[in-house]
Amino acid sequence: MPPEDLTRMTEALAASPANLISMPHWGTDPAVWLRAMLVRYERPLLSFAARIVGDHEAARDIVQDVFVRLDKAGPWQFESADPRKWLFTVCRNRALDRCRREKRLSFVDDETLANQPCAGISPSEAISREEDRGTLLRLVEQLPPRQQELIQLKFQNDLSYREIADITGLSETNVGFLLHTALKFLRERRAAFGR
Amino acid sequence: MKTNFDDPRLTAHAVNEPLSAADRAAIEALLAESPEVQMFAEEMRGLGADLRAQYNEERVRQAADGRVPNVIAFVPEPRSKVEPWLKSLARIAAAVIAVCAVFGAGYMGWKATQPAELGDGVVIAMKATMEAPVAFFEEAQDAPLTRATGTGTYTLTQEAAYFSESDAPLGYNAQQSEAYTRLTDNSFLAVAQNPLSTFSADVDTASYANARRFLAAGKLPPKDAVRIEEFVNYFPFRYAPPLPDANTPFAVQLESAAAPWNTAHRLVRVGVKAREIRAELRGASNLVFLIDVSGSMFQENRLPLVKKSLRLLTEQLDARDRVAIVVYAGKAGLVLPPTTGDRKDAILGALDRLEAGGSTNGGDGIKLAYRIATENFINEGINRVILCTDGDFNVGVTSEGELTRLVEEQAKSKVFLSVLGFGMGNYKDTTCQKLADRGNGNSAYIDTLREARKVLVEQMAGTLVTVAKDVKFQVEFNPARVSSYRLIGYEKRLLKKEDFNDDKVDAGEIGAGHTVTALYECVPVGVAEPGTAAVDPLKYQAPAAAPLNSAEMLTVKIRWKAPEGEVSERADFPLADDGRAFSAATPDFKFATAVAAFAMTLRESPERGNATIAAIIEWALEGRGDDPGGYRAEFIELARKAQPLLEARAGKS
Repeated sequence: MPPEDLTRMTEALAASPANLISMPHWGTDPAVWLRAMLVRYERPLLSFAARIVGDHEAARDIVQDVFVRLDKAGPWQFESADPRKWLFTVCRNRALDRCRREKRLSFVDDETLANQPCAGISPSEAISREEDRGTLLRLVEQLPPRQQELIQLKFQNDLSYREIADITGLSETNVGFLLHTALKFLRERRAAFGR
Repeated sequence: MKTNFDDPRLTAHAVNEPLSAADRAAIEALLAESPEVQMFAEEMRGLGADLRAQYNEERVRQAADGRVPNVIAFVPEPRSKVEPWLKSLARIAAAVIAVCAVFGAGYMGWKATQPAELGDGVVIAMKATMEAPVAFFEEAQDAPLTRATGTGTYTLTQEAAYFSESDAPLGYNAQQSEAYTRLTDNSFLAVAQNPLSTFSADVDTASYANARRFLAAGKLPPKDAVRIEEFVNYFPFRYAPPLPDANTPFAVQLESAAAPWNTAHRLVRVGVKAREIRAELRGASNLVFLIDVSGSMFQENRLPLVKKSLRLLTEQLDARDRVAIVVYAGKAGLVLPPTTGDRKDAILGALDRLEAGGSTNGGDGIKLAYRIATENFINEGINRVILCTDGDFNVGVTSEGELTRLVEEQAKSKVFLSVLGFGMGNYKDTTCQKLADRGNGNSAYIDTLREARKVLVEQMAGTLVTVAKDVKFQVEFNPARVSSYRLIGYEKRLLKKEDFNDDKVDAGEIGAGHTVTALYECVPVGVAEPGTAAVDPLKYQAPAAAPLNSAEMLTVKIRWKAPEGEVSERADFPLADDGRAFSAATPDFKFATAVAAFAMTLRESPERGNATIAAIIEWALEGRGDDPGGYRAEFIELARKAQPLLEARAGKS
């Protein structure tokens, strides 16, 4: 594939993830496709993984592993399906695996999890400790971890409730409920801060 | 009725989640019923939009400051015939290695490479030390540009690639993706049939800078990418400028000596030096930077280099000057309204904020830039659009013809155009040059910051201030002295002899302080002629009268227009050959000859005589002189670099 096609493709992808799905020519060159996926999804996956494992370096390991797996899977797997779901599912599973291995994760029911406050500096805060982080994103960090995860999947990565449900193993109704709760919280907090 | 804010479907609806028909009907009924619910839904929708926007901003910012590194680059390569299983194994291994190396690099404290610095085909041997799958890793350490790793080579990009600006590496197939029009060398013409040689002045230098990056990467440039006149005109020559009271905006120096590649032939150099304008005396300027921010400008040697280059230019501006910035990608937009040159923070800030992304719609950008330039037109000042692009226009007005017509149309506004070409991948030489030609302007190829300094700082006046436009040369040869001649280079610049006096015919511009050099190889009367295309004697014409027995060998006639003029002026400059040998020529003459011969050799021109690369280096050394700026020394270096490549090519054929 000539370089201009490659850059054009990467840029189309960066503009909208939807372009990836409708792009016919990645089928001809998996390396180009992989590069495009990296450019678009490496960062969102990093912050997604970091939020789960609470460690930036560990998150990089996980994301690296996700991309090696993605390469192994090849683009043909995603001809009709959206690769985002695959990426976030695999990333989440790898991250949870790692937590389990390191016994950092104790299994709790959703109720407890949903109400558990965020302890200390959140991993995503560690990633983007910039002062100028959008005010809303800082409010997001005050949400319970599960809701943060859903907000990230929905608004950072534009996944549908159905896809989020598949990734997280929650029911679609539950996803809707949690997002509703999360947004209501954000709305109140933002109002309290006088915007 | 109690309003129910607690229906999650409200939020789902507000964030554009597709709902079942029944659910949607229920929500729409709810919304219709109560303004409070409507307000709530509106707020939720706003929240969703803000979250998306902030996440997106964050992603873009991280990409820009490189704090979250994105360090793996993929280089496509032609498919190899490696067994499929081996391919995928090698591919995965390479990926693991690259990723390991990346993290190793991270631990070793290298600054994270910004994605903007990732270039196609930028490949560096990995130096990070770490435990990695050993066999593959050792192999990969010395990985050359394209390893047989199947359909993709996974490579690590790091700053080392950019430590040496002049050694910018080349993409493996850069050559295929660059467009050069086919060029055939001018051949000898008989004076009897063609006593006039007419061409347009050309001070574009892009071809030399472009060829330099090929040679720096250890490759010979494609033959059609070598334009002899652009090579020669790359170098400043020390011709005397016109006297302050001269009525021409330039001075002409003619010199002749034996052609070193064929001593029976005479070489004539036409040297033109434009009036110099001291920086502090130049007029106020109204500049519009028109910057291509499409995705193809993403790489380090494109948009980031554009920013650095324009920064250099901005630093020389002051309160007299005004700068506006227009960007174009899918859409065109004004990112900086006209701002005076003393407000450098504002200008530099706007430059810094530029980001690459989107496809290229050059047409709209050009229209907008010209509109702003004409709206802010400064009489007697410098009015110029400076287009920075890789020449890859792929959206909107895309056909080259349409684009050049657009520029031609806009150029009537008396706003001049400079085209700065960036990028090594798909630099479209022909588009850039055509645009500059039609837009009353100049073009330069900027491959390094050093080149930017030459064009935008050292020769700023020349780049910005045009002292004469539509400059045409017509050389009349004396058939009593010269039997045939050949114009060296300028193949794309030839004009019909009638065009010389036709003011409607567009030609080249000369900037303040610029020099224009043209070389003719002449066959004196009495010397055996190289195969000129002979024409049968005419049946109905009286045989030509015996030529005037003048000592003059030729006369150079020059026509030009004042920068804002419509009517041309003319001046004549005759030359009598003093018969000197090449060894007695001035250093400038020798150096120009060496450069022309080098270009001819790179082109494998059939007219290159017995010039060898070793001899060319000799001539260049003799012509080196005191070499301010070090350009001649650099040329000699380049010729030495080319020597083994040329000799290898000659050995093959």
